[in-house]
Amino acid sequence: MAAHQSTEWRTVCEKFRLAQELSEIESRKDPENNPFRSKYKARDLLKEIHCSLVKIHIEEEEEGEDDNEADGGSMQIAEGEPGNECGKTCTGDSPAGLRAARLAVLQYYLGVNHIETEELSAGEQHLMNCMKLIDKCTTTRENVSLFIQARNQLGILWAGRDEIEKAQGFLEIAESMYLLYMKEDGQPPLDLQDYFVSEGEELSQQEKIRSRFEMAYTHTLYYLAQVYKNLEQYERAGQYCHSTLQRQLEYKQFVPLEWAINAATLSQYYITKTRYMEARHCLAAASVIATLAGEIPSEAAAKESDAECEKREELLQKRSEIARCWIKYCLNLMQDAKKLLEDNIGELDLDRQEELKRARQNEEEEKEKGRKSAILFGSSDTFDSICSLEEKISSMLPLDFEEARSIFLVGQSYVAQAKEYFAMDGHVTDHIEILQDHSALFKVLAFFEQDLERRCKMHKRRVDLLEPICKDLNAQYYLLICRQLQFELAESYYEMMDLKLAVADKQDQPDVHTIKKFNNLCSSSMKYYQMFLDSIRSPEGKFPEKLEDEVLRPALVAKFRVARLQSKLISNNLATQLENLNHSLESYSFIVQYCEENPEAKKAVETELELSNEMVSLLPLKINRIRSNMASCN
Amino acid sequence: RQQRRTSAASLQCIINSKQPKEAPKNFTFDYSYWSHSSEEDPSFASQRKVYQDIGEEMLLHAFEGYNVCIFAYGQTGAGKSYTMMGKQDPGQQGIIPQMCEDLFRQTAENTDPDLSFSVEVSYMEIYCERVRDLLNPKSRGALRVREHPIMGPYVEDLSKMAVTNYSDIADLMDTGNKARTVAATNMNETSSRSHAVFTILFTQRRHDNMTSLDTEKVSKISLVDLAGSERADSSGAKGMRLKEGANINKSLTTLGKVISALADMHGSKKRRSDFIPYRDSVLTWLLRENLGGNSRTAMIAALSPADINYEETLSTLRYADRAKQIKCNAVINEDPNARLVRELKEEVNRLKELLLSQGLSNLITASGKYTHTHSTSDAPMEGVAPTSPTTHISKEEAAERLKETEKIIAELNETWEEKLRKTESIRQDREALLAEMGVSVKEDGGTVGVFSPKRTPHLVNLNEDPLMSECLIYYIKDGVTRVGQEDVDIRLTGQFIKELHCVFCSEVNENNEGESDHTKVTHCITYRNATVMLPENTVGEHNPQCHLPLPAKTL
Repeated sequence: MAAHQSTEWRTVCEKFRLAQELSEIESRKDPENNPFRSKYKARDLLKEIHCSLVKIHIEEEEEGEDDNEADGGSMQIAEGEPGNECGKTCTGDSPAGLRAARLAVLQYYLGVNHIETEELSAGEQHLMNCMKLIDKCTTTRENVSLFIQARNQLGILWAGRDEIEKAQGFLEIAESMYLLYMKEDGQPPLDLQDYFVSEGEELSQQEKIRSRFEMAYTHTLYYLAQVYKNLEQYERAGQYCHSTLQRQLEYKQFVPLEWAINAATLSQYYITKTRYMEARHCLAAASVIATLAGEIPSEAAAKESDAECEKREELLQKRSEIARCWIKYCLNLMQDAKKLLEDNIGELDLDRQEELKRARQNEEEEKEKGRKSAILFGSSDTFDSICSLEEKISSMLPLDFEEARSIFLVGQSYVAQAKEYFAMDGHVTDHIEILQDHSALFKVLAFFEQDLERRCKMHKRRVDLLEPICKDLNAQYYLLICRQLQFELAESYYEMMDLKLAVADKQDQPDVHTIKKFNNLCSSSMKYYQMFLDSIRSPEGKFPEKLEDEVLRPALVAKFRVARLQSKLISNNLATQLENLNHSLESYSFIVQYCEENPEAKKAVETELELSNEMVSLLPLKINRIRSNMASCN
Repeated sequence: RQQRRTSAASLQCIINSKQPKEAPKNFTFDYSYWSHSSEEDPSFASQRKVYQDIGEEMLLHAFEGYNVCIFAYGQTGAGKSYTMMGKQDPGQQGIIPQMCEDLFRQTAENTDPDLSFSVEVSYMEIYCERVRDLLNPKSRGALRVREHPIMGPYVEDLSKMAVTNYSDIADLMDTGNKARTVAATNMNETSSRSHAVFTILFTQRRHDNMTSLDTEKVSKISLVDLAGSERADSSGAKGMRLKEGANINKSLTTLGKVISALADMHGSKKRRSDFIPYRDSVLTWLLRENLGGNSRTAMIAALSPADINYEETLSTLRYADRAKQIKCNAVINEDPNARLVRELKEEVNRLKELLLSQGLSNLITASGKYTHTHSTSDAPMEGVAPTSPTTHISKEEAAERLKETEKIIAELNETWEEKLRKTESIRQDREALLAEMGVSVKEDGGTVGVFSPKRTPHLVNLNEDPLMSECLIYYIKDGVTRVGQEDVDIRLTGQFIKELHCVFCSEVNENNEGESDHTKVTHCITYRNATVMLPENTVGEHNPQCHLPLPAKTL
């Protein structure tokens, strides 16, 4: 076309290039007191181009009408063509369509410019102008990219105004336009940068164009993810985040570590939704993609240079973080299975187990196949490694000890990996969180174990993990962690005590050794509950008259358990028995009295309070019996 | 143990004057101050007043040994620095100078010779996840945030300056502020995008004359100037701005935030079931230590009353509100009580039935109170629950039933104590039997094997099974002790035991120690150290076995 070679056109192209540069590069250096200096300059240029363009277009149209009817005719053809989209006045690839697209591109950039300089209404106006211009034309490779990007911008704009549904509308149209275009055409479209290129200048390379176009659509999906999140459609939001990740990988538009961490984080979303297959896929992909970030520099190399040191630190940290996501996967998988399998007192329900095993065979396989194809992270070079990593661990709820054990072992190996970076020295909180997870792994594994002695040993492992740390930790800085540990240790000992009791019950006679062991476990459990309760005291050692919300229930439950434990202690000495029962009564009375003085506490400990009330009225009976026994002995 | 304050400039409910239709938004706080007018205004809050309300109490906590922290947050120009630092002029000093002065005044007043104080300060800046030492000009690059199990969270290599009076502190603060400005200029960024943390480490050392030991009480006073809340997003710097709910992040670099927000949506209540790697680590750490730990924290939100700042003000208040709600995220994760509850319910029922069966003529109401009733008489009842089933039962029948119930209850009620009592009575029987056989048993009936009398001559059994060895002890009396199968003092049974196996003669020497002599009847017996050993090859590889009703190991 003649106009393209004109000086005027060349000036337009030059101005456009300059505007781009001002807006994208120069603007970063703008001073604080004039933050939009370059943006305003760019805006002026864009306006100038717009004027020149309108002029050129008029000339072009006249020229066209003069020497050829064809150009103008295309409009008529479009109008008259049967089956054409209604309201379209020309095809996108006609000269008229191209002219409209060029003006639309300018409107687009003017719109973005106004939005960036916080003139939202003006920005909106320009974007709407842009849309009007392209909406006259059919969608072709000339304008599809613009179509999507303009709608992306409008989506962001309306979301910022709290009109999420409106934003959703724009973005969803962009989404369907992309899908339609890819189905019907699929050619790399014209890039926004390439509308203003004078003869002789190189157009962007096909590959780049494709990549930018795909990127625009990836953004559409990402914006939709946010819109759905804000609309509280979390399911869809998750799905769109997943697609965003999928596309980043597919078009190689990602930073490996960042992508890996995002995928690992997404797995945690799936875990909360109990969608373990998706969670596993995300984690496997995270682990594999993280390796693309390169080798971890050796310790020696790290000492040599700061950059290497930082890289080492970062890689180790992210790897350990992904490992921690894996731990949560293993833990939740087992815990969810436990929830399904346990009876009302937390024991394995064998009938339920049978039932679930039978049900699983029928359903799961079918379901997995269907779901799997929809969520795969496809990238030819990594796909195999992702799959082989997935095969190392099941994504189905374990239904017996063997299955639980294999998940436990994987979890445990990730515990070791996570601890590599999150060592106690330097990362106290993180390190302990990992140990707590390790302990939780043992705890849930114990549920699946039918042998009481072995189950007891698993709880012993929990104690062994946590007890040394609990002793070493400074409560001035880690009060809450200390409390958690104390509580967990108390519960572990309690569990062991219960198990020892169950074992001993099977023997016809309790031997002295067992009794001693049993009493020790009771005492240890009480000791840690007491430590927890003491942690609530003021520096002067006073127990608060009113417990804070976050310790209210734990404190009363601790008291309740202590009360129980005190009455469980075994002794053949009547005086000791009497003493223990009196202590127990005191603890039950404490709960009753506290709830009388603070009626709002009742709700937090309903069952415990009811039982405490009963015990307060009934225990004296037992105590009196012992008393009379003692009297008769003397 | 936590306490947070929001002191907001006179706004309890804010109304958008430009859009009067919008519903007023409400926020709660402990104090609210107006300082945009002058002293003449009756509602004007002076620097002194603010310090008295917030600073004094904080200082008191520091003396008690708590960590204390004051956060300031808000738009630049809204009075954040004025509240925290103030101006040099009299009456214009902010919380920090007043608190420091007060601190040194109180330590100077101390007359106790055994009590000494020391004060150290550090000053750091957090910018883009990097921590920088503002007091040490030689410190380059980012410092690492670490945690020590005993010493708590700390910044590696952060310099700590010892100070002895307030002017030292003022100088250091000034130095630090200069360093901060210089750095900000170099980076072509405003300091309002970085957080600054000024820490005073206050140590109280008490010498105990009795034990000549020193005890230390260390408290940390952190004064945190959070990054300005204003326009931080246009350039991508984050600050602490909380965006309006519906906003869309443009850049894919924020994908992680969106995903973690999704993952976070569920794990709020109980203990975290998931792990979310994405976080503003340094700031999280800061918040964790001060909002989640063992410390007292005050939060000051500085607001501008101008309507043009409506959005910023709202955002500041929302942030403050959210900070107030940050509770310790470390929840106690307790085991379900189901089993314990069931157990206790059983016990309660047992005890209740016990009460009934004891013929106490009482019914227990659910609340545990006793109501008087007759249970075994036909006499008309007064104030009895109408459902009482026991009305028309004859006395004999009743007695019978009672007996039955008691038996059942007794079985039900067999707790460990009773089992133990049973064990005890069996033990006594066993002991009696053993005594009859000449085997001695320790007082408590405990494992005899461990117990080995030093001074009295005795025999012990040996067995191939080490567990069975030395389980039995046979004392040798003063004088003659006869060992054998029949008509003896120590009765042994076994294939190789003769009717009269051997005889021991024990004589008491002058040290009152028993010494035993022996008379060999059929076999050779060696002895050493008053413990007579039956050598393996004597009784034909077999050891003396005792004929007991119970296996030895259950002792």
